Amino acid sequence: MEFLHWLENTGFSIWVRESPSIWAFPVILLVHTIGMALCVGVSAGIDLRILGFAPSLKLAPFERYFPILWLGFTMNAVTGTILVMQDASAKLTNVDFYVKMVFIALALINLKMLRTRVFRDPQIDRGPFPGSVKVLAALSLFFWLGAITAGRLLAYVGSIGGLS
Amino acid sequence: METLNLAHLHLLLNHLPTIGFGVGLALYIVAFFAKNDHLKKAGLVIFFLVAVMAIPTYVTGSAAERVLCPELKCPADISVDTIRNHEDAALFAFLLMEITGFFSWLGLWQMRRSPLASWNWNVVLLLGVITFGLMALAANEGGEIRHPEIRAASTTTAPAEPAAEGEASVGIARSIGAAVAGNTGIGWLWPAAEAVHFVGLCMLFAVVLAVDLRILGMAKGLSFQSLYQLLPFGMLGFILNLTTGMMFFIAAPGQYTNNVEFHRKLIFILLAGVNVLYFMLIDEPWEIGPDDNAPFRAKAVAAITIFIWLGILYYGHMLPFLGNAF
Repeated sequence: MEFLHWLENTGFSIWVRESPSIWAFPVILLVHTIGMALCVGVSAGIDLRILGFAPSLKLAPFERYFPILWLGFTMNAVTGTILVMQDASAKLTNVDFYVKMVFIALALINLKMLRTRVFRDPQIDRGPFPGSVKVLAALSLFFWLGAITAGRLLAYVGSIGGLS
Repeated sequence: METLNLAHLHLLLNHLPTIGFGVGLALYIVAFFAKNDHLKKAGLVIFFLVAVMAIPTYVTGSAAERVLCPELKCPADISVDTIRNHEDAALFAFLLMEITGFFSWLGLWQMRRSPLASWNWNVVLLLGVITFGLMALAANEGGEIRHPEIRAASTTTAPAEPAAEGEASVGIARSIGAAVAGNTGIGWLWPAAEAVHFVGLCMLFAVVLAVDLRILGMAKGLSFQSLYQLLPFGMLGFILNLTTGMMFFIAAPGQYTNNVEFHRKLIFILLAGVNVLYFMLIDEPWEIGPDDNAPFRAKAVAAITIFIWLGILYYGHMLPFLGNAF
């Protein structure tokens, strides 16, 4: 707990939390939202295609979009760390925060498995996907949905920092 | 004093959904019976654009109320009941208008791929007629707020007695708003709507990114035609966000009506409404086959599209920080 208090009282944390500058909290949270759009957006596009939407759309070229996905993820890892840091004693004692982290961890493991099963397969664009791959895609959507919901609810459950 | 306040803007905009929609409906009905596909398409485009314009029309109405009745206290010659009646009628008309707009958009989307299914023609016709009726009712109720000459013609009895103190009507729109705001004990409604708003955002960006990054040259193996199949999914995301967004607005109109960031967000939404038609009505992007390099203008539009949606996200995000929300 002492460490958490230290963390949220470093000069940087105080600046993020209390600076009236738009470049502090508002822009950091904005980058977090855009990162989410990039990361989940690309991931959801791939999942939906696997699940059977837009059947004539080739999936193989979608691999080119992975750098965008990782760009979004990196943006969120960095801004997310800052956002937790500036409100450490509240966020790191909030169960909802750990729920979000678990969903993100599951989504990442799932993504890794999907990438191996789908994009390493030379038969990728021949015929429908086996059931097990479709399950992975559905789970991916579910995990991201869980992460977004848990993340959004951080503003409402537990002791609330940041905006208040 | 500003030269143009939001009440003026409401008066400017509010004739559009009634008259513009009427023109669209007339065109559509003629096309329906004459079986003319070009006219039908024109009707669908008008329905869709009017549905987009109806968003600022509805929200400037709440702003106009604040101009007429500051601090929710109306001057003697304005009836709160009339405003509530207009607001409720407008909410239903708006709802039907957006549904009509969606099916019109879906019709345009289908038409690009194959001849439009006949069920959709009938659905749009039916919705169009109902919407026009509701819109006319809402317009009539709205006219009564500030036009005593209409009031006199429609009421045969003596001027209604002013409602007794404490009996001010609440109206359906306000009741829904109170529920969303958590004033009726359903505290989870607003947070749940927020979560859905973010999910809708991801759905929208899934499609915007896949289509526009391809045009810009990122995953050239994809043809535009195949990516086009994804558009309804993005539209679904938009509908989720329009629905939840309107819930927020109805719950706390004061946070938005005088919030410049919100006005900018609305302007960008109008731009996005026009922008999506480029991908549906113009042939240029359709000529982008697998491994083709997109023409410069298509790339420019793709870049603008990403810019518009990032703008909508930006202004929405900044509502509490630069504006006065929360």
